[in-house]
Amino acid sequence: MKNEGSISQKMRIKKIKIYIAHMPTLSTTVTKVMEICDRPDTLPNDLNRVISLDPVLTGQVLKLINSAYYSLPNKVTSLTRAIIMLGLNTVKNLALSSSVLKSIGGRHKNQSVFMDIFWAHSLCVGVTAKALAAINGIAANEREEYFVAGLVHDLGKIPLLSSYPEEYLQILKLGKTEQFHLKEAEKSIFNIDHCHVGKIIAKKWKLNAAISECLEYHHSPQDSSPENRNLIKTVSLADIYSNLLEKELAGHNPSEGSIEDEILNDMEVSRDVLIDLRPTVLDQIEKSKIFLQI
Amino acid sequence: MKIKFWGVRGSIPCPGAKTWKYGGNTPCIELRTKDPERLIIIDAGSGIRELGNYLMAHDLPKGPIKADIFLSHTHWDHIMGFPFFTPIYIPGNQFTVYGPVSFEDETLKDIIGGQLTYRYFPIRQDELAAKIDYIDLKEGIIDLGDGITVRSTYLNHPVLCLGYRFEHHGKVFCTAYDTEPFRNVFCTDPNDPSYDEGMAIEGDLVAAEENQRLSDFLSGSDLLVHDAQYTQEEYETTRLGWGHSSFEYVISMTKDINVKKLALFHHEPMRSDDELDQLAEKYCAKQDEIEIFMAKEGMDIEI
Repeated sequence: MKNEGSISQKMRIKKIKIYIAHMPTLSTTVTKVMEICDRPDTLPNDLNRVISLDPVLTGQVLKLINSAYYSLPNKVTSLTRAIIMLGLNTVKNLALSSSVLKSIGGRHKNQSVFMDIFWAHSLCVGVTAKALAAINGIAANEREEYFVAGLVHDLGKIPLLSSYPEEYLQILKLGKTEQFHLKEAEKSIFNIDHCHVGKIIAKKWKLNAAISECLEYHHSPQDSSPENRNLIKTVSLADIYSNLLEKELAGHNPSEGSIEDEILNDMEVSRDVLIDLRPTVLDQIEKSKIFLQI
Repeated sequence: MKIKFWGVRGSIPCPGAKTWKYGGNTPCIELRTKDPERLIIIDAGSGIRELGNYLMAHDLPKGPIKADIFLSHTHWDHIMGFPFFTPIYIPGNQFTVYGPVSFEDETLKDIIGGQLTYRYFPIRQDELAAKIDYIDLKEGIIDLGDGITVRSTYLNHPVLCLGYRFEHHGKVFCTAYDTEPFRNVFCTDPNDPSYDEGMAIEGDLVAAEENQRLSDFLSGSDLLVHDAQYTQEEYETTRLGWGHSSFEYVISMTKDINVKKLALFHHEPMRSDDELDQLAEKYCAKQDEIEIFMAKEGMDIEI
């Protein structure tokens, strides 16, 4: 690993900001987005769903809607609203627009493997957060925000990976062999972590306060503002749950049993509820994969 | 405020023996204020040609013509008359053209002025002698000076389209065309495989909120010019999503928002004068305190 001490944090943030301005979408969903948008009879449900399955595309479309159509920022926070207000054609055009629909081209194979894992994790957290919201009695029409928040929570990782692929992949590799906290490792190498990068993205894309805080505080929900804390805590738990589930699916041991009591008590969620959640989450992910034909 | 209709027809000009009474020109409305006198034009459909001729004969002799032109949207029937608006060829005249532009489209100047290329027309935009400025509009409020304010809001049409609310000396004149009621476009049948409960519920909520937003925007109009291209039956059978409203919807929507006069506008080009007369008989009886009528080319209204 290079000695990064010579590159100032300022330079790194500048490079990351330049990247964010032209941040591409995930290749996982691009083909399906094109296919759905090219149809003359696109179903609103399909359009909403295909955009919702890509954290970058979701963020980009909401950003474009707010900057291209409204003088005031943060007016539109859901795709459902955007499609009804601006119409299917406008949202289709936004999704298809060249500035949005460029997939992240991996410079080497491991980078695209990371992107696939990243996509699956984002989706898993989104689906879990939405399911937890339902369990906690959040109204059906407000659950989309939980899904979106979960879906986009880790966006801050993408600029780090794309701007410094060698170093970032090394950090991730390290994670497979040693016990470490990703955020700390990022900080020691880059002087900035994905939560901070997430905050920069949210600011640049003018995402609303709840989603912005989710990008910034999903590893420290206690630091979020009281009005968004339930959302951030839900995403945080969904994140922990998803990591454990992914490890288990990859053949490791940990399961819902290793989530600390403190977190569960705080969220008023029992361990049994999490175990019961598993088929729903796996089913949703499977359905999304079938929908995207991957 | 004085309002005059120079074009009331939707979609395409339809001149002829069957349409002379209501007129066959596409949308163009003249709005004049007193104290001070200002000229505002809404839309540049084929009706703007006649307005241009009128201005050349009556306004130009008094001095250069200055006007603000507000375009509801850039569909062809609302901009096609622009190259035939003679005042744009006269040095000294000044126009500011306002209108919405969809994301990633060209600028308003390219869209409107793009009609003035040799491919379509013998004169190029650069050859126009009047001073013309273009302003891309979003939702918002514009202070036109002299106590005139214009608010704009998004309507529901297949392309970005604005409704306008002009206010001067306490009088309110609004336009809302081309538009249809916002509706939940998402699947609401729980048995459909693509059904999503969240989308279905939020869709209902958003559609209701958007319709409320629009009726709030139009409330208190002394005159409201509203899209009413279809009957409810026509709308429901084959024209959902085309971006136009029904007589029934408009009349019921305006009932409780304190509108004084309602002009039904953007007539279907297939309709003859006789058919419009019959529809007027059915829909234009004075309801409560609202005076409802079919917009007619050449009609003057003072509010």
